[in-house]
Amino acid sequence: MFNLRFGLIALAVLASAAGFAQTPDKVHRVGLLHVGAPDTCILSPGFEQALARRGYIDGKTIVLDRLAAGGRLDRLPGMVDQLIADHVDLIVSCGYPAAVAAQKRAPEIPVVVMRAGYPVETGMVESLAHPGGHVTGLSEVASDLSAKRLQMLKEAVPSLHTVAMLWNEGDLAMSMRCTAAQAEAKKLGLVTQLLGVRAVDNFADAFAEMDKHPPDAILLVADSLTIVNHKAVFEYAAAHHIPDMEEMAELGHIGGLLAYAPDQGEEFDRLAELTDRVLRGAKAGDLPLELPTRFRFTLNLKTAHDLGLTIPEAVFLRSDDLIE
Amino acid sequence: MRRNAAPAAKARPRRPLFQKYFAVVFAAVVVPLLASGASEAWFGYQDQRHTLSMRLRAEASAAAARIQGFLDGIPSQLNWTVQTPWAEGVDERHRFDVLRLMRQAPSIAEAILVDGKGVERLHVSRTDPDVEMSGVDHFTDPAFSGARTSHLWWGPVTLHRGSEPYMAVAVAGPRAAAGVTIAQINLKLVWDVISAIHVGETGQAFVLDGSGRLVAHPDISLVLGGEGNPAVASLRALQSAALVGGAELVSGVDAEGRAVLAAGVPISGPDWTVFVEQPVTEAYGPIRAALWRTGLLLLAGAAFAAALAYWLARRMIGPIKRLEEGAARIGAGRFDQPIELRTGDELERLALRVNQMAEDLALSQERSERISRLKRFLSPQVAELVEREGQADLLESHRAEVAVIFCDLRGFTAFSSQAAPDEVMGLLAEYHQALGKVIVSYEATLTCFMGDGLMLLINAPLPCADPAAHAARMAIDMQGAVQGLIARWRAQGHRLGFGVGIATGEATVGRIGYEGRIDYTAIGRVVNLASRLCSTAADGQVIVDPATAAALDDALAIEPLGEKVMKGITQPVPVFAVTRAVAGMARRG
Repeated sequence: MFNLRFGLIALAVLASAAGFAQTPDKVHRVGLLHVGAPDTCILSPGFEQALARRGYIDGKTIVLDRLAAGGRLDRLPGMVDQLIADHVDLIVSCGYPAAVAAQKRAPEIPVVVMRAGYPVETGMVESLAHPGGHVTGLSEVASDLSAKRLQMLKEAVPSLHTVAMLWNEGDLAMSMRCTAAQAEAKKLGLVTQLLGVRAVDNFADAFAEMDKHPPDAILLVADSLTIVNHKAVFEYAAAHHIPDMEEMAELGHIGGLLAYAPDQGEEFDRLAELTDRVLRGAKAGDLPLELPTRFRFTLNLKTAHDLGLTIPEAVFLRSDDLIE
Repeated sequence: MRRNAAPAAKARPRRPLFQKYFAVVFAAVVVPLLASGASEAWFGYQDQRHTLSMRLRAEASAAAARIQGFLDGIPSQLNWTVQTPWAEGVDERHRFDVLRLMRQAPSIAEAILVDGKGVERLHVSRTDPDVEMSGVDHFTDPAFSGARTSHLWWGPVTLHRGSEPYMAVAVAGPRAAAGVTIAQINLKLVWDVISAIHVGETGQAFVLDGSGRLVAHPDISLVLGGEGNPAVASLRALQSAALVGGAELVSGVDAEGRAVLAAGVPISGPDWTVFVEQPVTEAYGPIRAALWRTGLLLLAGAAFAAALAYWLARRMIGPIKRLEEGAARIGAGRFDQPIELRTGDELERLALRVNQMAEDLALSQERSERISRLKRFLSPQVAELVEREGQADLLESHRAEVAVIFCDLRGFTAFSSQAAPDEVMGLLAEYHQALGKVIVSYEATLTCFMGDGLMLLINAPLPCADPAAHAARMAIDMQGAVQGLIARWRAQGHRLGFGVGIATGEATVGRIGYEGRIDYTAIGRVVNLASRLCSTAADGQVIVDPATAAALDDALAIEPLGEKVMKGITQPVPVFAVTRAVAGMARRG
């Protein structure tokens, strides 16, 4: 009797093991590495939805390991190590420091990058068409857009003379963007007030500097560090009646005056597409990096009203999203 | 003869009838089936191919129309910017027109407004700061001159940052003073159109320009990957095949390495060709299914034909086999099993004939057996006669008045013990030969040989009116025949003589012996007497008993030799010597 029961149990175990072995599709594990705060960029629902449209449902057909450094760049290497230890099949990164950390520390794992500047310029890939290595993703035209943003800011605030630029000194991509903006500012006859920050506490210094030399507007060079601290900046700007220009559409939606950025929906869609291609076996280095094609100009009329600004007609014409 | 025929009959025929019948019936069913199946498959294939060609061309035209729609939208948007003539500087109207254009047409990455003299007035980009009055001279720019001559000019496809495909479009206003607008189109947005085109289940569309550059493909990485990609090279091969093939479908390999059929349709405006492709496996799916169906039907038909042919051939061959077996039985001499055939056709008739033949053969064999049996103790012509007359009952046992003749050689025992065996047998052969002739001519029945001794019967089984006289005449002729030999033997130094005894009387005649060795003989006192008379006879004498002597006529001379006591016979018997009567000589006794 005992033997019979034991035999039956053994059979059941074997059967279930065989059934498990026959599961056709591997459930991939993907690490989402974000320099900034949780729930932004690739950790926002937008990217998860884009993946879901391609059949990757978190917890069912894919396992997503979400890691957000919250602006603390020193945490990134440890996070990459953790993803390696978890045997992820792929890392999706947001922000240049995250992309670099993943590329350097996990040479065996394909990396799909987003908001990592212009990777050809930063030396991350050989070219857009043939990236080589194990990195693909979305390239930015961000260094160009900085100039564009300054011009748009000037158009919205014709009396503009001094622009304070808040940027993260520890981020190469951001530094490049800042340099490009500075050159463009000169062409437009503007004076730039460079306020580099390296850590969360540096913001107080930046605000103190602006107290001393009040700017006509603020350009928040978007990276994780600055984004994590956007609230403090918005509060300072509102308190001192300083117009601002943002690099991310969502910041325009939550209090920033102006924002000009690539269409985030399109970005997530392309990012999910590239993720899908790599998971289905394509070599990341063979997939060309994609430049953004659609851009959105966000105008927050509520903020404009609070600042007492009159928006010229041309700015209205440009705007894709009006926040009222 | 039979020994030679037997192995030949057992060996398989070189081309058995079964195979022939089978082949003929099978072919009669399968050949028309195959012919109709093959023609159906061929014409079906042609029809399907034609339909497929039409369908892919229609799909290509539809795809081309959608791409055309995308492209045509751009000049019509650009037209708004070339309606008003330029004054000094950049006026609000032009600026607002171009900003509105950028809002309306997301595929336009940048727009350059040029005045009637070819000088750039306003440059608006999505990524770069706007530039007013840059003063750049576009007069020699092919976009400017092209638009001025034909109002609409399509530029070549260029790669932005070595990756993204862009194309310039220039539109001139109705008035030269309104200038020209040159727009850079980001062709990545064609992806929205091209990826929405589906041909069948897995077929897709793509666009190549005149120089073979991939302009649009559902897999955008192929477009962005640009030159040197082997996948793009295979699409280019399709394009060159389409250039050669004209309106025909082209087959080749697509970017994913699948064998595909493709049709291309050129579009007006830029030198582009829109292709639709469908994997061969999918495109020919219906044809393949139809071919499979036909193939299976043919197989089923062939199997049915084979079964039918087998059954028919079996039905044909079965009776023939039975006939063959029957013939073999008859050949082996077994006539008791007739061939059973109830086919109701010629074969049954043949079987009846064979059975009839077997019966006749059995009769004939029985008869010949009887003859050979008769021939053992009757002369051949008598045997034939007896057989022909159907008097087989002659051999039945009965009592009859017979003349029994015994004869033997005198001094033979002494001779045979001294002479060489060859000499003995040679002498006996001569002796029997000589006697045989006489016996046959007198139609006497030879019942047995005992070396030199012979026993003969007259009037059994063959009837004879006067057996005694007939026997006596024969005995005298036998003496005549043997005495000729004896004279020669004596000359050779052999002391031999020949004597004959005849007795006439009632005896039981019939067959004696066992299966396979049957003799005809007579039993009775008269036989014993004849034997004794023979023993008494001296060389050259024919000794007869009183019964025989009484029955003789005048032609024979009878000489009484007195009474003799003989072994096994109680009373002395008067004996007579018989010789041929000499003419005029008085009969003695």
